[in-house]
Amino acid sequence: MQEGRVLPARQINRDLLRSILESPRWFWLAVGIFAIVTFVAWGAAGLMINKGLGLTGLNRPVMWGFFLVNFVFWIGISHAGVMLSAILRLSKAEWRRPATRAAEVLTVFSLMTAVLMPLIHTGRPWRTVYWIYTLPFIPFDFARGVWPNVRSPLVWDPSAIYTYLTSSILFVLVALLPDMAVLRDRTTGIPHRIYTVLAMGWQGHPRQWKLQIIAGVLLSALILPVFVSVHSIVSWDFGMTVAVKSWHSTIFAPYFVVGAVHSGVSAVAFAMIILRWIYGWQDYIRHEHIDALGRLLIVVATGWFYFFVMEILFGFYGREADEIAVRNLQFTEYPWNVWFIIFVAVVYFIPVALWLPKKFRRNLWIMSIACISVNIGMWLERYIIIVPGLTQKQVFTFDWGTYTPSVVETMIVIGTFAQVAMLMLLFARVLPLIPLYDIKEGDILKTQVQIGRRTVPATFRED
Amino acid sequence: MANGHHANGHHEGGHHAGMWVFPQASETTQDVVSKTYTMPKPVVYGLVVSGILLVLGIVGFVIRVGVSGFDAHGPWGYYAATFSFVFMITSTAPLAAVAFRITKSHWRRPVTRISELFGLLGVFNILMFIPLMMVLPPIHNPNAGHHELEVRRTLWFEVPIGAPHWWDMLGIIGLALAALVILWLSMTPDLAEARHTATGFRRSLYGMLAGHWHGTKRQWNYQKAWLAMLGAFYFMLLIFMHFTISTDYAMSLIAGWKDSIFPVLYSLTGFQSSLGLLLIILFILRRWGGYDTYIGISPFWSASKLILAFSLLWCYHMFSFGITYWYGRLEVEQNILKYLLFESYGGMFAANFFFSFVAPFLTLLWNPVRRSDWGPALAGAFALIGAFVFNLRIFVASFNADHVYAHFLADVPAPVFPMLWDVFIVLGGLGLVAFFYLLATRLIPLMCIWEIKEGTMYQKMDTLIRGRYLVLAKPE
Repeated sequence: MQEGRVLPARQINRDLLRSILESPRWFWLAVGIFAIVTFVAWGAAGLMINKGLGLTGLNRPVMWGFFLVNFVFWIGISHAGVMLSAILRLSKAEWRRPATRAAEVLTVFSLMTAVLMPLIHTGRPWRTVYWIYTLPFIPFDFARGVWPNVRSPLVWDPSAIYTYLTSSILFVLVALLPDMAVLRDRTTGIPHRIYTVLAMGWQGHPRQWKLQIIAGVLLSALILPVFVSVHSIVSWDFGMTVAVKSWHSTIFAPYFVVGAVHSGVSAVAFAMIILRWIYGWQDYIRHEHIDALGRLLIVVATGWFYFFVMEILFGFYGREADEIAVRNLQFTEYPWNVWFIIFVAVVYFIPVALWLPKKFRRNLWIMSIACISVNIGMWLERYIIIVPGLTQKQVFTFDWGTYTPSVVETMIVIGTFAQVAMLMLLFARVLPLIPLYDIKEGDILKTQVQIGRRTVPATFRED
Repeated sequence: MANGHHANGHHEGGHHAGMWVFPQASETTQDVVSKTYTMPKPVVYGLVVSGILLVLGIVGFVIRVGVSGFDAHGPWGYYAATFSFVFMITSTAPLAAVAFRITKSHWRRPVTRISELFGLLGVFNILMFIPLMMVLPPIHNPNAGHHELEVRRTLWFEVPIGAPHWWDMLGIIGLALAALVILWLSMTPDLAEARHTATGFRRSLYGMLAGHWHGTKRQWNYQKAWLAMLGAFYFMLLIFMHFTISTDYAMSLIAGWKDSIFPVLYSLTGFQSSLGLLLIILFILRRWGGYDTYIGISPFWSASKLILAFSLLWCYHMFSFGITYWYGRLEVEQNILKYLLFESYGGMFAANFFFSFVAPFLTLLWNPVRRSDWGPALAGAFALIGAFVFNLRIFVASFNADHVYAHFLADVPAPVFPMLWDVFIVLGGLGLVAFFYLLATRLIPLMCIWEIKEGTMYQKMDTLIRGRYLVLAKPE
């Protein structure tokens, strides 16, 4: 599995710090474009908060629309970090090395973006303080006897998401320490001072390395339950709602988690291809890494498909008229039936068909298309789960509704994509998106074994 | 496990002590084959005990037929649980060989044959399934009235001819055949080598099974390609059969039980318990079977992490089911929770939860325990007991829920305790597996010789800076 050459440490530093120490002209242009789109979206959100939720397509009974779809989508993307970093670190997969940092950073930024969605969705974001605090000096709830229902998944959500966000940031910071020390030693002036503080006195002593590795492994293990809990709780926002028949399903939690991993890992694979292209990191993000991600994605996609089939089959299993009505809407009525076919095709059949041949997995264009396709499909999936169920939430057909997203909602959703892209680029400007020490460690552990006339790549294992 | 050189291979000391073993490739065939020909006393005792249990099982079955006949499905709950347990572990066990061969995990090598050998027991799954076909109530309600469903809840929506009985049988036959072919493909190179030294009926059997195998490059390529393809097919069929057995013979017999996560839970229980069983066998072979030359700590350590993961997943899926039902506050769901989890079979559920999650989790939480041979085997034993209780809880409850065609479970039925012949049936099921597996071990080499030899080429100890470390090669 090793195709790259072993590079000298000095060259690794030079190549991987290029994004920080040099600023090509396209960088600020790209950041500028993303910033404009982001600010337009923020402007739209501001307008909506000023004028009210009437600017959106939300109506009774569809009170959850684009914002919540987008919330679930970004929570899903955030699952890439732990999947790639923690699980692959624990399983000692060698090919993880160039992918971990980008995955972890994507986790942080997508989570930050995700939490904005429910806040915007409230229409009056300042009132969300009552979701979290029930302290005596905040009198509103007390005065009206209104309390957050701690038994509601809507209250568990923020707890899980903020725990995940905190631990993900910690995870990134611990892994960044040795690289910050390298930057500290290569910068001057104010950046030097900032990196000195961030490096926390890292000198690369054996004891520091040992502690850093232990911290990484412990965090990897501890973050796993948090990772699973986040999307499970998001799924229970839906699964525990008995009133919406197509939501009340026991499989929602693992189904959502696997779907999140599917979209997250696809997003990381696409991000890696982009990074390789814009920063010229061909020696670090090699075809073998994208190939390995492709193979992992076949497994994850097939796992997702299994849960998807279960969810659909058991929708019919109950033979309950109200649930069958929702399924009927999803599968047979325009435009939902078209969306549904597109969704299944772009999430599973097209990408998996593209990932199966090794030749395709090593073609970066094809991999990009497949990974984007998954994420389009996963966004659609959340839309198809959320909206049709709500349109037919009521028992009587004359209470059934429709939902058409407004321009404001669409702009805010587009803005979230620009925001994450902008944050990723800005991160790459100040900190390395490929961990330097991890790449160097990987090179040290590389070796070969001679079997007959063949030389087979091999790795030193510590256990 | 002593460090240093061994009669047939050697172990490295230091950090890697006992973790990896390095058998001598040139002596492997002779050593493994000669062990297959012997009949040690513990095996004889095992055969006698399991044979007695098997006979008891047959007696119990005959009495059950005499007492209850095949008209009602209720009395067959313990039989169904026994079938499901036997099916669950014997059909899932070959997956270890299939899956870890596809992922090219080196630690699998001593495990593969032990797991593939369970493929021989597939034929007993077919036999044990026949009575269940006879007692399963039809999908169409023969006495449909106003207060009952015309067609009970089932995954066979359009009720194709023979559904679900014959379709399930077809799947079980398919699994058994696929497992046998996988075993045959895997053992062909070993038998081809062993046929030269074997005598008597073994010589002719090995010669017949090995066919024209000469180990040409073309033959090896075909063998590996077929193993991979059949492995993928086996995996898909297995998951499908877990799905159908768990719904047709459990969920659909409890009115109103609509639980999309249950087939997943069933599969997870199968993965966890069958891997646990393999670790128990591996432990016995390493400690007392004379196979310590081939079995290091590595398979225990690697599999222990999987059992730990399965235990956590089991708990997670169980929780997902429980909380969704509990939170909904629907009468039907509350009744099902009371029936399966908290009241009627509450004690069984507690035991199930303890053995499937708490005990293996607490055992394997500690790295020194995971890095031993006894720790993962102990956790495996817990998982196996957990799966046994799981099957008893689910299938006995499902077969005795009554009102199969009702819209929902209106009340919480009382638990059903086993009669003496039910106990015989359960013991007989366990005896059957042990008896025929032990017999098979005397006929077919318990180590996959060609994979062990292949492994010796891919692993070695080497020096890196100042330490000695394992080098693992991974060809594409």
